[in-house]
Order: sequence, then C-alpha cells, then structure tokens
Amino acid sequence: MTTSVRDVRRPTLPARQPKAPPPPERRPFRDNPRLILLGIVLLFGALAAMIVLADQSTELNPDFLSEVVLYALSAADLTMVLALVFVLARNVVKLLVERRRGLPFSRFRAKLVLAMLGLTIIPSVLVLIVGGELIRSSTERWFSQPIDDVLRSANEIAVDYYRDRETVVANHAERIAGVVPAAAVEAGDIDAVRSALAPEVTQGRVGLVEVYRIQEGGAPTPLVAVESPSLPRGHVRASGAADRLAARVASGSPDRRVHEPLDGGGELVRAGAVLREAYTNRPVGVVIASDHLAGEFAEHSRRITEAYEQYRALAVLKRPLEGVYLSLFVMMTLMILVSATWMGLYLAKRITRPVQMLAAGAREIGAGRLDHRIEPETRDEFGSLVEAFNTMAGELAGSQRKLERSRLDLERKNQQLDERRRYIETVLERIATGVISLGADGRIGTINVAALRLLELDGAVVGARAEDVFAREDLRPLEALLKRMHPGAADPAAQEIALTREGRELHLATAATPLQGEEGEFTGSVLVFDDVTPLIRTQRVAAWRDVARRLAHEIKNPLTPIQLCAERMRRHFGGAPPAARALVEECTTTIVGEVESLKALVDEFAQFARMPAPRAVPSDLNAVLADTLALYKDLFHEVRIERRFADGLPAVRVDVEQIRRVVINLVDNAVEALGGSTAAARPSGESPTIVVETRQDAANGVVRVTVSDNGPGISAADRDKLFMPYYSTKRRGSGLGLAIVRRIIAEHGGNIEVTDNAPSGTIFTIELPV
Amino acid sequence: MMRRGLAILLWAAALTASLAAAQTLQVTPLSRDGRVLVSFKLADAFTGEIRAAIHSGLTISFVYRIDLKRSSALWLDSTIASAEITATVRYDNLTRRYQLTRMQDGRIESAKETEREEDAQAWLTADFDKLPLFSSAALEANSEYYVRVRAHTTPRNASFVWPWERHDVTGQAKFTFVQ
Repeated sequence: MTTSVRDVRRPTLPARQPKAPPPPERRPFRDNPRLILLGIVLLFGALAAMIVLADQSTELNPDFLSEVVLYALSAADLTMVLALVFVLARNVVKLLVERRRGLPFSRFRAKLVLAMLGLTIIPSVLVLIVGGELIRSSTERWFSQPIDDVLRSANEIAVDYYRDRETVVANHAERIAGVVPAAAVEAGDIDAVRSALAPEVTQGRVGLVEVYRIQEGGAPTPLVAVESPSLPRGHVRASGAADRLAARVASGSPDRRVHEPLDGGGELVRAGAVLREAYTNRPVGVVIASDHLAGEFAEHSRRITEAYEQYRALAVLKRPLEGVYLSLFVMMTLMILVSATWMGLYLAKRITRPVQMLAAGAREIGAGRLDHRIEPETRDEFGSLVEAFNTMAGELAGSQRKLERSRLDLERKNQQLDERRRYIETVLERIATGVISLGADGRIGTINVAALRLLELDGAVVGARAEDVFAREDLRPLEALLKRMHPGAADPAAQEIALTREGRELHLATAATPLQGEEGEFTGSVLVFDDVTPLIRTQRVAAWRDVARRLAHEIKNPLTPIQLCAERMRRHFGGAPPAARALVEECTTTIVGEVESLKALVDEFAQFARMPAPRAVPSDLNAVLADTLALYKDLFHEVRIERRFADGLPAVRVDVEQIRRVVINLVDNAVEALGGSTAAARPSGESPTIVVETRQDAANGVVRVTVSDNGPGISAADRDKLFMPYYSTKRRGSGLGLAIVRRIIAEHGGNIEVTDNAPSGTIFTIELPV
Repeated sequence: MMRRGLAILLWAAALTASLAAAQTLQVTPLSRDGRVLVSFKLADAFTGEIRAAIHSGLTISFVYRIDLKRSSALWLDSTIASAEITATVRYDNLTRRYQLTRMQDGRIESAKETEREEDAQAWLTADFDKLPLFSSAALEANSEYYVRVRAHTTPRNASFVWPWERHDVTGQAKFTFVQ
C-alpha cells in the first residue's frame, strides 16, 4: 500500500478525523549526507592507514607482521568479501523477487543495477588482477643477484675484518699468557704482572689487557688491568663482559672471543687465553686481551651487516610481506568495490525509487485513495516531481470533496423529492379521489387505488394507452372527456359522468387537466374524479324532505275539513232512505278511510322530514340488537331469527332508539320478504332464516352489522333505488322505510350497503364507526 | 597471468606441507619423584628454509606446546596441564655467532652464545631432556596418560591466501603413571 513512503491516509469524506502526528522516522544511512560524508572520510582514512602500513611493513617486527598484520588483513579481506557477496546477493535476490512479483520498474532497475555493478566490478577485478601481478613481480625484483653479491661481499669484508681483529687479539692474548709469569699471578703480585703487561699496551699491540687469577676451586677474579690511554675512559670495567669471558675461558670453553659494544661508540674485541703454570700446565689465571674498534668503523661494519641481514630477512619474509602487500591491495580494491557497489545500488535506487513511488502513488490515486501522499526524500528534480504529484493529488482530493459534497446535496434533495413523492403517492393512495396521470403519448403513467377501485381496473393498466383502457363500454365517457380536453387550455375539462356498477349508478365528478412544460409544451394530463354518489343521494334526500314537508303541509291541512265534511254528510244523510243512506255511508266511510290513510302517509312524510338529530351515546351494540330482536320472540314461528354476535365488541356511539328502528325496519323487510307468518321452506330446502350478525373490523375502525335473509332477494334494477324515498317493492309500503334507515345510518357517520346473499336472499350491511 | 599465480601458490602450499610432513617429533615422558619429566626431540627441522631464516639475522623461535593429557573414550581428551617452551636463536652475521635463549612459559630459563651451528641446532631442536614440566600429584595411579608436543616456528612463513594454515609438527607418547 505504501511505496516505502509515509502513507498519509485520511478518512473518507465528509468526516475528517484528526490524526495523531506520526512518530519521527529515523533517516536511513543512505539518506543522511553527514553519515555518507563520514563514511567517505573513514574510507579515505582507512586507505591512508593502509598506505602508511604498507610503507612501514618492512620495518615491522616479523612476528607481528606474520602473526598479526597478515592475519588481520586477511580477516579484513575475507570480511569485506563476505560483505560484498552479501550486498550483491541481497540485491540480486531483491531484484529477482521484484521481477518475479512483476513490480513496476523492476526490469529497469535490474538493468540499471547490473550496468552499475558491471561498471564497478569489471574494472576493479581487472585492476586487482593486474595490480596483484605487479606486486608479485615487484617483490621478485627485490632480490637480484648483483645486489645479493654486493651485500654478501660487503658483509664478508666486515666479517673478515672482525675475524682478523679477533684473531690478532686472540693471538695477543695467547702470547701475553705466555709472557706473564704464572707464579706472579698465582701469588697475586700485581706489580710483577703489570710490569710484564705494560710493554704490550705501551707498544700499541692491544688496547687493554686484564689478568684474572684462578684460585683453586673458584671462579677467576680480576687481578690487574692495563689499558691504553686511547681507550674510552670509565666504562671498561663496568661492563662485566670481561668477567664473563674470563669465566668461560677458565671453564675450558672453546668460545673465547666476545664483542662488547661501547656506549660512546665503537666496540671492544675481546679474546681470552688461559695462563698456565709452566711445569704442571695447571691454569692459574686468564688473560683477556681487548682491542678497541673505533666507533665509525664499527658502525660502518654494523651497517653493512644490518643491510645484509635486512636483505636476507626480506628474502625470508618475502611471502608474508607479499601477502601483506597483496592483502592491502585487495583490501583497497574491496573497499573501493564495496563502496562503488553500494554507491551503484544507491544511485540505482535513487533513480528508480522516486519513479516507483510515483507509480505506486498513481495506482493509489487511480484506486480512489486521493489522500495518498508521497513524502519527498530529496530536493532535486525528483523531489519537485513528487511535490507536483502531491499537489495534483491534493487538487484531485479537493475536487473529489467538492463532488462529494455536491453528490451529498443531490442525494439529500433526491431524498427530499423521494419523500415528497412518497408522501404524494401515499396521499394519492389514501384519498378517495381517483387520479390518473397520462403521458404526452397518451399512456397511463400512474393510477391510484381509488381510481382502480372506482373504475374497476387493475394495476396492469399502467403503461397502457388510455384510449385502449377507456374503450371499455362503461368507461367511454372518460375517453370522451379526454378527447374533449384541449392540450393547450389552462382550464380543465370537467364533467359529471355516471357509471353503472352491478346495477347501481356511480356518479363521478371528473376533470381532465392538461399538463404543460416550462415552455408550454404538452407533457401529459391528469384525470381526477370524485365519487359524488353519496352527495347526489344526499341532495336527493334533501329534495325529498322538502317535498315531504310541502306535502305534509299542503295535503294535511285540507284532510281534516274533508274528513269533517264526510262525517257531517254521514250524519245528515242518517235519516235518508236506506239505499241513499247506504250509499252515503259507503262513500263517507271510504272518504274517511282514505283521509286516514292520507293522514298516516302525511305523518310518515312529516316524520321523515322532521327526523331529529341522533343523540349518540357509547352503547353495547350487541345488547341493543338483542333487546330489539327480543320483540320478535314467538311472533313468527315459520321464520328463524339467528343471532351471531361477535364477542368483545367495543362500545359504539349510537342513538339506541334510532338504531332499534333501523333493525326493526330491516328485520320487518326480511320477514316480509320471507312470507311473514305464511313463510314456507325455501326452494333449496332451507328453512326461512334471518341472520343478524355483528363483526368488528379493527383495521378500518368500524363495526359491521349485517341483516341477511335467504328470501328471493332484490333485483339489481331495484337495488339502487331501494334507499330512495317513496320507492317500495311492497304494495302497501310508503317507500320511506329504507330511506329513513339510510338517513339514520348516515347521521351516525356510517354507511349501509345491500348485496345479494348466496344462494338467495339479501344482505344489508351497516358500518358504524367505533 | 592468473594461472601462473595460482600455480605458484599451489606449489608453495605443497612444498610447505611436504616439509612439515618430513619432520618428526619424538616425545618421551617419564614419571619420577613426583614430576612428569618430558624429553622431546624435533628431527629434520633444520631445513634449508629454517637455516636461511636463521642466517638472515631474524630472531627465529621454535615454540613447543606441551600438553599432559588423558584419553577419554566418550568425550574429548582432557588436558591435565600445559607448558610452553620457546627456544630462540639470533644469528649475528658480523660476528658469526648464535645467540640462544630458552624460555619456559614466558620466563627466560637460560641463554648462551655459540659459534657452532650444530650447537644452535641442538639448542633449538634437541636439548630438551627430562624437563620437569608437570607435577604428578594430580595424576591417578596406574592410569594411562599421554604427553603431546606441538612445535612450530615463528615468524611463520604464512601465505597470502589463507594465513591460518598451520604446519605444526606434533608428537605424542603415552605413559602409565605408576605410583
């Protein structure tokens, strides 16, 4: 996810959470200029130390050279070889892994690394081979025969001179041992011995003569010493070398010569001889003769020998020295190689890393993570490129945030519109008004439930052409209305149409409104229709009430004079002949009877017209129905009245008297339909039955009361007129019963419907709000 | 060029190995008077190379590492005691004299000069007779021990390619400690 860079992710919009600052990263060595500079300084320091070491190598202690320096250099070489192999192997493995993973720029990086390694390794190896051979041939040239001959000859000269001086001094010692009187030495006569020695010294044959006396069973002890004034003063006796030589000579050792370097320069060449008693040949003393080699001469001799020895030592130490030189050279080469290799790898990384980072960053941006940033590691052109990339990513992120905000606004508005649409749809679905929207092409776009119910359509009509849907016989008025609608008109086309539903008339107040776009073009139309059937019914009832009131007023007033006149005529003609009296009696009786009938009729009309408003109180509807039906107990033996009351019926606000009247009216009608007291079994074999049932419809908040019978039923043609005043199917009915029933139910806020019963009969269904 | 260098190196390594193989180290341990006396002699050690090195004036040392050990069948042999004797020679090309020194465990035990190469050779390789190097107090009676002596010279004539190659001469001899 991160391309070895700091991945600065931010949470997606709109919430941007604060992020803790990342811990400071430790800069790697390769990115720290100070450390790189320090490394370069150390490298040059190491190279300088190697040069100094190589320069001093011949002067080093051979043991130190072969035991420490060579080992250390070889160990360092091996370590550097291992380091180089490790660096190379690590990077080769990394390159292989990167190529296998198909990482971007892996092939380019591999080529770059290989090129840089080739540029460093091949010249270095060539230089190493040539340089090694040069060192080897140079060491071979150290040892040439002429130099060897010269040094050897010079050393031989010095050695021969020393030998000659030793021989001379030894001969002097032997000769002096023969001259010095043994008895004097044995007796410790210093003067006698000194006088015997003096001529040797004064004549310059030797510089110093020392005589030691050997006492029986003991070490030689100094007896007398005679020295030349030319000898350096003060230290001849201090060295003790003569004592040790005397002891060695006395012990019979053949090693009787010694060289004693002096502090002030020069050497003493000493030689010893045993001084023996002449007759017994018994050693009685030791004579040490010494000759002084001048400082300058001894120094030259010693230098010659040192040069010779150094040359010989160089030959002996040729292999270790050669090893040291080769090791140093290999080390320098390896250091350069490791440095160059590392630098090559570093440069390859410096070149490819920003490109890889940019590629990875581009992928992240492409994946939509616009908050991805690349941390610039350098301030060069690559750093500028990274900065430009980050700027671009920032601008993209800003644009995306703006887009996101716009999207959110749009979503919010869409949501509001959706809510509004759902609200309108809900309103449209819930309202009793039918609404149909039509497109410009005349196809139905939407249709609400009320429209479906009123027009007896199903939801499949959505998308169908309106002229096809309204081609149905009963819906043709709608089609005509749509045709009558002018698309450019601002006012809707309105019309009241009547549809026939199951023999009943359905009155719809319809309006077709054209829809216009912003530029006034026709975009469709909306068809709205309301069921105004109850309104029309109410209007009709009101009209009938007015008629009834007028009838009651206009008819009832003359009836009483008519009745009084008829009774007066009957009384007047009481004395008339029987035939006339009988005629008058019959006529007046008929008049009075008809007047009574007219009065009763007028009273009913008056009652219909003056029906009071119901005094509704919460009542137990089942109890009201039970009390009412109790009136019919044992009244009609041929008709069975069955009760099916629902349990737990809630209290209903009704005017008990008016409801009782409704029930009586409906039950009376049913009894009469079944034949009353002469009711016979139904053709289906069932007994004449009236069922009074109560039921709660909690979903619609109503209580339903049904009064059903299995009588002959009502024809469809009569069903719609059934509730109209002055309409009756009975011969002696006033036609106001069901009109009053409907009015009472309507005054209670309810509704009454009549439907067919199965297999025969009628069902009156009353809905009362709870 | 590379082939020649490689051939020289191989030749040098083979020569050094053959010289080392030709040398023998005779070891004779002896337990007496509470001490383990060790005698040893390095034969055929005075090769031309050694002589040239000595006569070059370099200080040449013969270092003998003497270990008193006990064999172990299950594990590595245990070392009871160790000592190191160094015989050093310095040849003065001017006086043609050998300056000889002998040290034991870093202490100078003796020194002498000689003109005779035979004496120097004996001093360096052969004059190691019944050296009372170890105490026998820690030894178990009737147990078998052995003394191992490893010898090498310094300065080493080490090669460049692999300086750690050692051509030590080793000799050892068993003895039964009888109390």
